[in-house]
Amino acid sequence: MLRFSPLAWAKLEYFCHRGDTEIGGFGVSKPNDLLAIEDFATLKQRTTAVSVVFDDAAVGDYFEAQVDAGRTPEQFARIWLHTHPGNCPQPSMTDELTFDRVFGNASWAVMFILARGGERYCRLRFNTGPGGAMVVPVEIDYAMPFAGSDHDGWRAEFNRNVHEEPVIVRGFANGSRRVEDPLDAFGEYNDALEPLLDADLFDFDFDECEVL
Amino acid sequence: MKILFINNDGGGFADHIEVSEGTTVQALFAQRIAHGKPEDYLIRVNRQPVARDQKLQDGDRLTITPTKIEGAFAA
Repeated sequence: MLRFSPLAWAKLEYFCHRGDTEIGGFGVSKPNDLLAIEDFATLKQRTTAVSVVFDDAAVGDYFEAQVDAGRTPEQFARIWLHTHPGNCPQPSMTDELTFDRVFGNASWAVMFILARGGERYCRLRFNTGPGGAMVVPVEIDYAMPFAGSDHDGWRAEFNRNVHEEPVIVRGFANGSRRVEDPLDAFGEYNDALEPLLDADLFDFDFDECEVL
Repeated sequence: MKILFINNDGGGFADHIEVSEGTTVQALFAQRIAHGKPEDYLIRVNRQPVARDQKLQDGDRLTITPTKIEGAFAA
């Protein structure tokens, strides 16, 4: 089970609803309980209503700072957290590709997705022995110690790290239109954005989403 | 000589390691992240991006971190 401290969860929810875009970060865990998240750490990132990309140099800076703080990579770089618009937390093809490419060589990793509607998805992957993956439950653990909220600090961190960009809608001479993600997070799967042409993003029909 | 090596692959690592004099960044990457493609990582020495043929010096801090960590919603 993945457990969040109430403070870490509150901060994640704050970031999820602070703007109109996806956001992401890492869970920072207790040294002796790696699936117990004490803090939600964000870093400089570009975001749109449908995607989020971390700044590469900021990831390097984050690793350096966490190591300087005395933490090991298992504590700060294995639990990847991000949000989705609407109600569907199911991972996209982009999410799966990132989870495989970035975290597939670590001995274990977690992909956690929080949808703005409140649904959650969490998968633990382990690469030791025969390897494997499983969807795991999530809870907010009120038995973990926690301080009060820090809206001023969270707002400053959000403004410092989250750089929002609009989704691009291109019109063509033949009357057709195309939605493009300026972060190019969809790559060859950009056609997945096509349904957004006919729907407001946050009214988009997520009924086909099956939450595991 | 000793350098501080930081990376997230395998069990994750943030510790001092012994390397031979004249070891290049590229050689250590190949040794430590044999399965990885250099283009999937940001490789920095003492917090600065470096050329792959740069030779490591005693006391250097080599940080290898993943690039293009991106998520998107499932349409």
